[in-house]
Amino acid sequence: MAGRPRCELCGSRPAPRLCPRCRLVRYCSALPCVSLQKSIVEVAVSAAQRFLWEGKALEALPAALQALRFSARVFGWSSVQLVPVYLLLAEASTGTGNLRQASKYLSEAEWIVLQSPDCPAAVQSRLHRGLGLFCIAQGNLDQALYHLATDVYLATSAFGVDSIEVSGGYFHMANIFLRQNKVDVANSLYTEVTRLWHSWLLSSLQEHQGRLRRLRARAEAAPWADDEEVAEEGMTEAQGEEARRVLQALLGVRKKQQLPQETARVLHALAMLHYLDLDLEKAREVGMKAFDLAKELPQQDSLETIGHLLELINANFSHTK
Amino acid sequence: MSPVKMNVLPQAILQSPGEHPRFVKQPVCPPLDFARIHLIKDKDGIDDYLAKNIKGLSKQEAAANRNSYTKNICIDMLRRGYHKSFSELFTLIQKWNALREAAGPGSAIWHEKSLEEQPDKLDQLYHFLTRAEAAQRAGLYEEVYDNQLNLACSFEEPEDKWLSDYFYEQCFNTAQLVKIDGGKRKAQAHVNMGLINEGHGHVMEAAEHYEAFYQLTEGSSWTDETGHTYNLLACEHLWRIYTLLADKMLENKEHQEAIKTLIKALKMAKEAGNVKMEGEAAYCLSLAYHFSGEQQTALSILNTSLAIFTALRDSAGLGRAYAAAAKILASQGKSAEALKYLGEFMKDAENAHLSQSVVDANVLLGKVHNERGNYIEAFEYFSQASEAARTLNSVPLVDETKAYCGIAKAHQLMVAFNSHVAAEDPVSLKYLLAWKENRSDMCADPLTVELDKETSASKPL
Repeated sequence: MAGRPRCELCGSRPAPRLCPRCRLVRYCSALPCVSLQKSIVEVAVSAAQRFLWEGKALEALPAALQALRFSARVFGWSSVQLVPVYLLLAEASTGTGNLRQASKYLSEAEWIVLQSPDCPAAVQSRLHRGLGLFCIAQGNLDQALYHLATDVYLATSAFGVDSIEVSGGYFHMANIFLRQNKVDVANSLYTEVTRLWHSWLLSSLQEHQGRLRRLRARAEAAPWADDEEVAEEGMTEAQGEEARRVLQALLGVRKKQQLPQETARVLHALAMLHYLDLDLEKAREVGMKAFDLAKELPQQDSLETIGHLLELINANFSHTK
Repeated sequence: MSPVKMNVLPQAILQSPGEHPRFVKQPVCPPLDFARIHLIKDKDGIDDYLAKNIKGLSKQEAAANRNSYTKNICIDMLRRGYHKSFSELFTLIQKWNALREAAGPGSAIWHEKSLEEQPDKLDQLYHFLTRAEAAQRAGLYEEVYDNQLNLACSFEEPEDKWLSDYFYEQCFNTAQLVKIDGGKRKAQAHVNMGLINEGHGHVMEAAEHYEAFYQLTEGSSWTDETGHTYNLLACEHLWRIYTLLADKMLENKEHQEAIKTLIKALKMAKEAGNVKMEGEAAYCLSLAYHFSGEQQTALSILNTSLAIFTALRDSAGLGRAYAAAAKILASQGKSAEALKYLGEFMKDAENAHLSQSVVDANVLLGKVHNERGNYIEAFEYFSQASEAARTLNSVPLVDETKAYCGIAKAHQLMVAFNSHVAAEDPVSLKYLLAWKENRSDMCADPLTVELDKETSASKPL
């Protein structure tokens, strides 16, 4: 569609300036160096994060360093914006076995937080999570628990008692308690993590359905309108990835125990996640497992919801086929 | 806790439901032993603390120094795995903040200290919430209940009512899961919820809870810390709540419903073995019959009440009951009978040396005579009431009886006054004008004095 061109960087119109090299890409009148650098930071950070998810800690390092350099250029070396980057660097260093370097990066992050009196609680909680995970890598479990507890407290202050941001801290704490053979504490925490993800995914699903209904209604009402991209306010990539890892880990734990109700809940959550990821095959497979388990339970309150999900999946299956 | 207001039946017969019953001894919370270091203000205090407790500050302890007490407690709860206790504590703190915001500046709660600024309360919450959570993980619901009840009982100040009400509700939910104690905890939970509902004016819900309490405790031997059986408490609470319910019914003119409810109240009072309560219950029931028009039944039930109050030498009860009797008889047109009743009252009161009752009896007798137009007798009785009131040294009472005297006197004067007005002749008019100028409140009748003066003045014609 040959509409008026948008700026390559910020998306605004008009975009009169042409890139001198390729003579194809356009930019808007103010070509701020800052906005270019900011997008470099974003790209570098997501690259580093993706490498880490794939277990490629070594490859993550150069991307993370690039992010650090440009963040410092844009925001300054003492800015709170650098903290997430330092945490990535620490995680990557730990992944390559360089604990000393990881510790240095964490100290830098800690120093920034201590120097910033109005550092948001959300950032502080991330810092403590990073510190906690580092302690786990060092084998210092008690210290790790202290940091993760602080993480949870700060995340609760920032996001609320039932927020999804709190679940990460709980999950790692549960793993520690399991290692220390405090099984009932660990289980209580695992149940809480499952509950948080389950209800978050349920409401994401409902929001997603709502969005689709509105889009359809709009399309029906004005089919000739511009096919504008509507900003997807759903799950971020990071949230999706975290959900996937945590739920798979939970499934692994639950399968070893005799707790069918909890296993069913995890499977249900996973099915919803696969659906939101548009992986209908997997969604159906996992959803059926959840349904079969739930059928056997004495309390069948979840059966209806799982049933609805399966109907949804099947309906969409016939759409796409 | 303010009792529900009654609009038809007299408020005085109800005592306030009072505090929650004592099912457990007052809980004692041991002080927490980890650092309250941030509360120590001076350097000596800190040095002293450090010398006793710490060989150099660890990183954590340094951080604890910077943190608020709330933050330290929360982190400690979490690192020991008590995440539910943490969530509950955090939510309670938020709840108080929301209550304060809603009440706005200038309200009582605005100037109170928040939970975060009260380390003692935080300690108690830490101690009992964590024990409850550990018990819950082990499936020991009776222990969960006990810890929650301890918390509910420990917040006794009026400004903490929201907190204690919250924990009584938690107790109620937990009690439903306790299977091993024959329903004792469930029973306790019901009576506590009943009291909370009653305090908020939800009389129907309160009644349901008290009835459940009664059913669960029938035939049991459970007693509270003061030695009263649960069943006795149930009867007392039910008597009170039935009376409150009946009051609302009487307000809405649902007389038959009120009568049924008050019969239940009377039954409860008898079962409780509380004679005074029985007297009050009979009195209320007779009032209900009176309102519904069944005067004979009303009177016969009232006689029971009178017998009880006489035996108990209860002046307040006697005054009310005899007033009711007079009213009932007056509505039947039997004022002679009313006078007989009240004569008995007077005799009993004098024999029993109940000064208040003597006053009451005189006042009632005066009122009956006043109604019948016997103003001179009325005035006499009211004066006697006034004399008796003086011996009681009660200024309001004396004033009241004096007012009655005035009423009787005024009525007396009215007779003569009215006849002069009705006559409509110039002589009567002159007398009236003279009286108006020479107004006095002495016992002598000024009109006849004037009349004599005038007639003696106008004699030589």
